[in-house]
Amino acid sequence: MSSKYSVIGHRVHNVDGTEKVTGAARYTFDVVLPNMLYGKVLRSSHPHAKILKIDTSKAEKLIGVKAVVTGKDTPGHKQGIWRRFPELCDEEILCRKKVRYIGDPVAAVAAVDEDTAEEALDLIEVEYEPLPAVFDPLEAIKEDAPQIHDGVELNINVTRHIEWGDVDEAFKKCDHIREDQFKCPSQAHVCMETHDAVADFGYNGKLTVWTSSQSSYYIQRLFADMLDMSESDIRVMNRHTGGGFGSKFELDSAQFPAAILSMKLHRPVKIVLTREEEFIATKRRTPMYYYLKLGAKKDGTLLAKEARAITEGGAYTAMGATALYLTGFFSSFPYKYPNYRYDGYRVYTNTAPTSAMRGFGAPQSTFVGESQLDMMAEDLGIDPIEIRRKNGMTPDYVVPGQAFIQSCGLHQCLDKIEDHIKERGKLPPNHGIGIAAYGFMSGGIFNWFNTPYAFSAALVRINVDGKVDLYTGACDIGQGSNTTLSMICAEELGVRLEDVRIFSGDTGICPPDLGAWGSRETLMNGNAVKRAAADAKRQLLEFAAAKMGPNIVYDLDIKDRFVHLVDRPERGISYFDVVKEAIRGKDGNAIIGRGYYTPHRKGMISPAYSFGVQAAEVAVDTETGKYKLVNVTTAHESGTVINPVGIEGQLEGAIMMAGGYGFCEDQPMDEGKILNPSIADYKLIRSLDMPETEILEIDTYEPEGPFGAKEAGEGLTNPTAGAIGNAIYKAVGVRINDLPITPEKVLRALKEKQKKKK
Amino acid sequence: MKQELKLTVNGQPYEVYVKPKTLLVQVLRDHLGLTGTKRGCSDSSCGACTVMLNGMAVKSCSILALQADGADIVTVEGLARGTELHPLQKAFLDHGAYQCGFCTSGMLMASRSLLEENPKPTKEQIKEGIDGNICRCTGYNSIIRAVTAVVKGEYKEEK
Amino acid sequence: MIKDFERLAPKTLKEALTLLEEYKDDCKVIAGGQSLLILMRQGLVAPKYLVDIKGLSELAYIKDDKEGLKLGALTTHRAIEKSPVIKKKFSVLAEMEQRLASIQTRNWGTIGGNICHADPAGDPIPVLIALNATLTVTGLKGERNLPVEDFSRDYFETVLEPGELLTEIQIPALPPRTGAAYTKFNVIESDLATTSVGVSVTLGAGDGVCQDIRIALGASAPTPMRAKKAEAVLKGKKITDALLKEAGEVASTEAEPISDIYASDEYRRELVKVLVARVAREAIARAKA
Repeated sequence: MSSKYSVIGHRVHNVDGTEKVTGAARYTFDVVLPNMLYGKVLRSSHPHAKILKIDTSKAEKLIGVKAVVTGKDTPGHKQGIWRRFPELCDEEILCRKKVRYIGDPVAAVAAVDEDTAEEALDLIEVEYEPLPAVFDPLEAIKEDAPQIHDGVELNINVTRHIEWGDVDEAFKKCDHIREDQFKCPSQAHVCMETHDAVADFGYNGKLTVWTSSQSSYYIQRLFADMLDMSESDIRVMNRHTGGGFGSKFELDSAQFPAAILSMKLHRPVKIVLTREEEFIATKRRTPMYYYLKLGAKKDGTLLAKEARAITEGGAYTAMGATALYLTGFFSSFPYKYPNYRYDGYRVYTNTAPTSAMRGFGAPQSTFVGESQLDMMAEDLGIDPIEIRRKNGMTPDYVVPGQAFIQSCGLHQCLDKIEDHIKERGKLPPNHGIGIAAYGFMSGGIFNWFNTPYAFSAALVRINVDGKVDLYTGACDIGQGSNTTLSMICAEELGVRLEDVRIFSGDTGICPPDLGAWGSRETLMNGNAVKRAAADAKRQLLEFAAAKMGPNIVYDLDIKDRFVHLVDRPERGISYFDVVKEAIRGKDGNAIIGRGYYTPHRKGMISPAYSFGVQAAEVAVDTETGKYKLVNVTTAHESGTVINPVGIEGQLEGAIMMAGGYGFCEDQPMDEGKILNPSIADYKLIRSLDMPETEILEIDTYEPEGPFGAKEAGEGLTNPTAGAIGNAIYKAVGVRINDLPITPEKVLRALKEKQKKKK
Repeated sequence: MKQELKLTVNGQPYEVYVKPKTLLVQVLRDHLGLTGTKRGCSDSSCGACTVMLNGMAVKSCSILALQADGADIVTVEGLARGTELHPLQKAFLDHGAYQCGFCTSGMLMASRSLLEENPKPTKEQIKEGIDGNICRCTGYNSIIRAVTAVVKGEYKEEK
Repeated sequence: MIKDFERLAPKTLKEALTLLEEYKDDCKVIAGGQSLLILMRQGLVAPKYLVDIKGLSELAYIKDDKEGLKLGALTTHRAIEKSPVIKKKFSVLAEMEQRLASIQTRNWGTIGGNICHADPAGDPIPVLIALNATLTVTGLKGERNLPVEDFSRDYFETVLEPGELLTEIQIPALPPRTGAAYTKFNVIESDLATTSVGVSVTLGAGDGVCQDIRIALGASAPTPMRAKKAEAVLKGKKITDALLKEAGEVASTEAEPISDIYASDEYRRELVKVLVARVAREAIARAKA
């Protein structure tokens, strides 16, 4: 792949790469401080209970234990990431009066080592009064269901409504209407590095926290809320982070107890959640009951869609309200519905809270929508590609009252996938290829945290040797934002990638950024970085212009470390010389550029959207129902590709996660207890199970994004489950409407189909 | 009651005193400060703790440290020779065969062990070689491409 | 969290047996520990003494003679997987090992440790049952031999008495025109079996009548079991597709599988039905080759 740019679009080593392949990268997991203690958390074994008494005396007496804390050792606030809506701030973390799910924290211990801390947990005596519990949202929404939060009727935590046009009238005009129901399960993030934190509260009243996080900014603010501290007295540092996927931008039960313990002891306290705690108590994908009604004309034109989702909220709001909204919004993607209505209900249940996970409600809506669309296509006798072509979004489409789509390469993606399917030719028996189309946002415009707007900020400092320090609050959680942002900085400034050093995710020195979620870093933080680099460049060029004294009509620019006349690129001076003199001219002060990005008047959801179409090929064993994922080919567009190696990695990785959602991942529960909280029991796709993957890039340019770029990390977690479901239908003629699609479900469906034939 | 444990790690001899229940991974990370080897699970399923013991890939979280008495251990810190990266490390860099990096040490050691046993594995054998290692970020295929590139001889080691 | 224990590392088999006799129920034996350490980390097993026999190299061997194969109990899975003589003469064993857990586990874990762990879903025992294997159990008082199918008593329980160690596995040389095959059903390739089937069949000369057949089922009962009624359908007969189908159906009624989060008992029975026919067919093809 060649690139018209100097830095972006080229295949480069990740800027953190050498550290990671030599084992030198330090994660919070590796942090060890002098005088440090180890903490463990005691959790509720009841799904719903009053806490009558907690006796920590025996635990405190155990040799090696330095402190035991409970809810009464905290200021007693409730936190929630929907900070502007106090009624949705419902989680104490260390529970004081009541526990609401199995795993809800009630106490924490700091000791000289992990084993002692764990032993101490067994010595804490908690007296519970179990309360009736409810686990299914369809049950929890009934009149007689136990009330989980005071004052919340029918356990309805949040509702959302999205509407345009008049669906009821439109259905009357349809030639064909389908109504279908689906069930989407939960999913665990399974970050390789579990949630962890080292909290260090000093006698100077300042708190320093090393933690594995997607947003040091949110964690800092939430700490301030929960500890009655001032933001600036809290420094949150995101080290190399072993994965996030949506699980690490809320205050969690490693961070908060560690801080409380450290505040009590004035010593650093480290808490690392075990893998079991990770499964039961770190939030998960929102399970949803989905009801869809779709109406079309007989030529395949979609006229109306009505969607209703009842979601399992779990014990607290967390980010579930956002997932509820986004699933309804993306239920309208990627097609032009003249009439649309969505109603979503998030219902509290006595299960682990459900929150954000890569895709944020869109994997669910894409699975159900793309399954139903294929069914509609079959009813009408129309090819699945054709029906999507007929209704697919196009550039500059406006989603009424919701969003402005600028760049959109959906149709080119459909063409590419159509070609791919043709190339595969005639398939062997019981093989099938199914497709699914998606669209996804590049960062959320909405901000329920503290200001009305989402924002990103960055700072660029040019040092005397010409090397550049880039400061940004953006967090690299493995998605490669450190590299992508460094590339944008280098390109804009006109230097090489190796000239840039990035400091990210440290609230003590970096300008704020909302963090790595909703696929926002490349577009939102990328814009901030580009503007900061442009600001620094402008200052440098002002000086260079004065020094070079060119005719007023000539512009200057910098490319590959050379400051030159734009119209006579061979005439110029070395960037390094300009820098030295500019800094000398400023009494030795480095040149500092600032930039920020806040989308205004860009609709309700996002300034830009990426699109794609995925084709999954399966081979089904009709005697057992087992199927193999043979190949997953994706045509996608994400504007200008900044970091090609990074994008490929994100896309293939998304297939593993999204494929898992359709193929094997599940969290079965019994009375609120997750039955498979271990890597052995929670089925994950491994190397022998991974299908062949192929990526087909479509070239587009997004005016909103830096150099025309938009998201690529999250959209691709949307289509795979739907593509698998459609593929199985194509292969053996059975449709499964609840995920994951297990061999047992396929076999049962095949047998029923056989019975019906007879 | 602690017992003496003598082992060689990355060519260096070490002598430590450990409780019988100490796991090999704890010796490497906590006693010797070699934190490149990670832990990601409690049931020997994720492979993040993979190191080489007497030439074999093993999960260091699933071996009592004292069973490694007298053993020759290689961790990710022992892959590079001085400042020269191992061909696998170079290939991982070129192919972006890592993202968050937490599984990477284990993947490198499993791959190195595979290639020491069999310098010309098939694609299927490469997949088998890392099947004991979970990666949540890459989807494995970039890792397989990186190992394949080494197998093809694209990174001839300087003798 | 692993609870503290005292580790005893005997240098000879006799020393090991002496320790087991002395400490009886206060001690547990560890070989590779690939199963035991998981249980100890979860606190399910917390012995006062751990008798570590991993170092007893006298118990790690693969011997092949005209009687058959003899495996020392401490032979690693990987050694079995890679053994040229096993690949040649008892290929089903090597194939089974290739999909057992992961290479890392196979490098350190032992076949004896696996058999003594007695997981009904474990891979080795059904294959050994199909191959008519026997085991040697040794105590200070002497040795006793028993068929492998009599070794597991219940879920994760064996007939080993305190003071006894599993020391050797014997697999008789395969009679001429014998084929053996094994399949485990799972969704993730290297996972534990949802259901597994091992079959060994010996065909008569010329007429192709089934002289002997052994069908072993894994993850189908509290212990690995033989589907004897299914065997009776095929033994002494010329095997046809219809008979294979019948054998599968009979085997599915003999099995006593459980329902769990991975599969219902009904589905497991269905798998037994399908897999017995399939694996038997594969074994016959190998017998003819």
